[in-house]
Amino acid sequence: MSSAQLLIVDDEERFLKTTTTVMKKRGITPQTASNGEDALRIIEKTPVDVVVLDIKMPGMDGIETLRRIKELDPLVEVIMLTGHGSFDLAVTGMRLGAFDYVMKPCDIPELMEKVEDAYAKKQAMAERKRSNGENGTTPRAMAVFDAQDAATNNEKE
Amino acid sequence: MKMTGQKKEKPVKYSRIRRIILSRILVAPFIILLMVCGVLVYYFAATLHSRVTGEMIRIVDDHRNMIDQFLSERTEDLKFIVNTTPYESICREHRLAEILEMLQKGSPAFLDLGVFDHSGNHIAYQGPYDLEGKNYQQAVWFQAVKEKPVYISDVFLGYRNTPHFVIAVRKEQNGVFWYLRATIDTYYFNNLVENIRVGETGEAYLINKEGVFQTKQRSGGKLMETDPDFSKTNLPGGRIVTYSTTDYQTNKYQYAIGRLHQTDWQLVVRQEYMDAAAPLIRAVMVAIGLIFIGGAVVVVIAFFLASNVAHRLSLADVEKREMTHQLIMAGKLAEVGEMSSGIAHEINNPLQVMKAEVTLIDDLFKDIAPQSDTDSENIEMIKDSVNQIGIQIDRCRKITQGLLKFARKSDPVIKKINPEELITETVDMVAHQAMLEGIPIETEIAPNLPEIESDPSQLQQVFLNLLNNAVYAVRESQKPEVRVIADMADKWIRIRVADNGWGISEDHLEKIFLPFFTTKPVGSGTGLGLSTCFGIIENLGGKIDVESDVGTGTTFTVLLPKG
Repeated sequence: MSSAQLLIVDDEERFLKTTTTVMKKRGITPQTASNGEDALRIIEKTPVDVVVLDIKMPGMDGIETLRRIKELDPLVEVIMLTGHGSFDLAVTGMRLGAFDYVMKPCDIPELMEKVEDAYAKKQAMAERKRSNGENGTTPRAMAVFDAQDAATNNEKE
Repeated sequence: MKMTGQKKEKPVKYSRIRRIILSRILVAPFIILLMVCGVLVYYFAATLHSRVTGEMIRIVDDHRNMIDQFLSERTEDLKFIVNTTPYESICREHRLAEILEMLQKGSPAFLDLGVFDHSGNHIAYQGPYDLEGKNYQQAVWFQAVKEKPVYISDVFLGYRNTPHFVIAVRKEQNGVFWYLRATIDTYYFNNLVENIRVGETGEAYLINKEGVFQTKQRSGGKLMETDPDFSKTNLPGGRIVTYSTTDYQTNKYQYAIGRLHQTDWQLVVRQEYMDAAAPLIRAVMVAIGLIFIGGAVVVVIAFFLASNVAHRLSLADVEKREMTHQLIMAGKLAEVGEMSSGIAHEINNPLQVMKAEVTLIDDLFKDIAPQSDTDSENIEMIKDSVNQIGIQIDRCRKITQGLLKFARKSDPVIKKINPEELITETVDMVAHQAMLEGIPIETEIAPNLPEIESDPSQLQQVFLNLLNNAVYAVRESQKPEVRVIADMADKWIRIRVADNGWGISEDHLEKIFLPFFTTKPVGSGTGLGLSTCFGIIENLGGKIDVESDVGTGTTFTVLLPKG
């Protein structure tokens, strides 16, 4: 298992606790946040590669949090978690640069696979950025493009 | 949603609407028609009456003048003779004959001529009768002519014993009077008066001041009889009068009467009132006829118009009801959809926690399994139980996903689809099992259906659902049959799944697309099948509809947008 820095954001405390336990056992130690503000604070302080983000939360909602995360660090990959199944929200998320979205209830191992995919993509992005140097490519625009690409690929599987 | 059960909702008060429209359409025109006709008849009657009376006055006036002129001419003839011929000369027979001949040339009305001395002795006579030598001292006319120079007698019998009248003139010669008398041809004079004709029943006659007929009355009064209606016609004054009255036989007559200037006679012209008013009566009949014909036409037109309008109104009413029904249904479905997605979301969150817990328990078992051989049987049972929890979580997930699909919250994967292939494939999936149960599935697919862009797996889910329902519905039918018909309808691809099963009652029909509505026994179905179909089809821009008659069968119609 790679050492992806994972952050799980959900307002369901028990879900955070159990998922953390399961993931620890399987080799990833995620950080957790129960709301958008906490999540942003953590991303500011510590390096985070992938965020699993619940769309519907009290306070700052998932879409807003996603936007702020991408503003903070465009390279952070975000997997949206939704219990609502709202197609519109999912599309909005993808437009804002989310890596994928997953319907609740989902399998933890499946979720972890998605996290790995996202992490791999982030690594590739970071690599490309390093090699491109300062040739003016906006990382954020790229992120949007790739994210959509990845999403369609993902769907076809 | 169409409800064939609506047959019983007959066009409400159709006949009442028609009656109201009919009365409104008819009342105003009929009042106007009656008023117009009434006014027309009134004015026509007034005009006609004045025309009739005017005409009669004119006739009386003309003919009175004519008769007056005739009498005065004859008188002048005689006066001329007495003034130009001396008594001695006229008494000679051949001379009198010459004079009569001359007079008759002037007017054939002269019948005979006689000369009388002062004491009434008939001195000379020329004419068809043998009257010479008779004495007329006591004759009415002789008495009268002694008093004045000219006398025109009433009709009398005299010595000849036939009705006639005479004109006598007096002449003074050498202090002694002598008289010349002429008899007027009754026949000739009668014709003169009688020939006046007005209409069918119009007639003219003369009466003297005692009411005795001086000429014949065409309707029956004989010469010298007394006019039975004399009391009604004896009016004083020289002016011509006209009026209507009834005769002694109670026939109504229009009279016009004028007094002659030459004698005391009155010229009476009369016409039966019904005859005089014939044009008026005809006009009234025509008017009434027109009212009836026009009225009938108006009634017929109005009837059709009213029927038409009433029919349209009732159609609109039915349409409105259907529309209201559809709106209510759509509103209900939207509300339930909103609720469904809320419920799904709220349930998905705890399911997610449960799922995580199950995964954790699974992982924990893996850790503890090698260490405990002792209680392995119990541990297996716990494992099985946890496994079951996982299965039940998945079951719940399916339900919430069904709910979300109904709420149209699922995202379709759009591909180009050949409708024929899709239908054939789907039917094949069900057909084998159905054949085993003795249920044939017929497909009628119109050739050259265009390709559509839609989600094939979602559509397949819809048609599988409809087919399974159809097969389920015909299980107990005598001759079970399921038909799938695909064709074009307007801009839609129309796919109908029809069965001849037991049908759906109206109560159920209303709820059929609502989630969790099912008539199957508890546990056999979630009641999400048709609601999911509804959600999918609406989400794909199509329409789904159902028609059903209990005992006859059910038809589901799916309309998909073309291209």
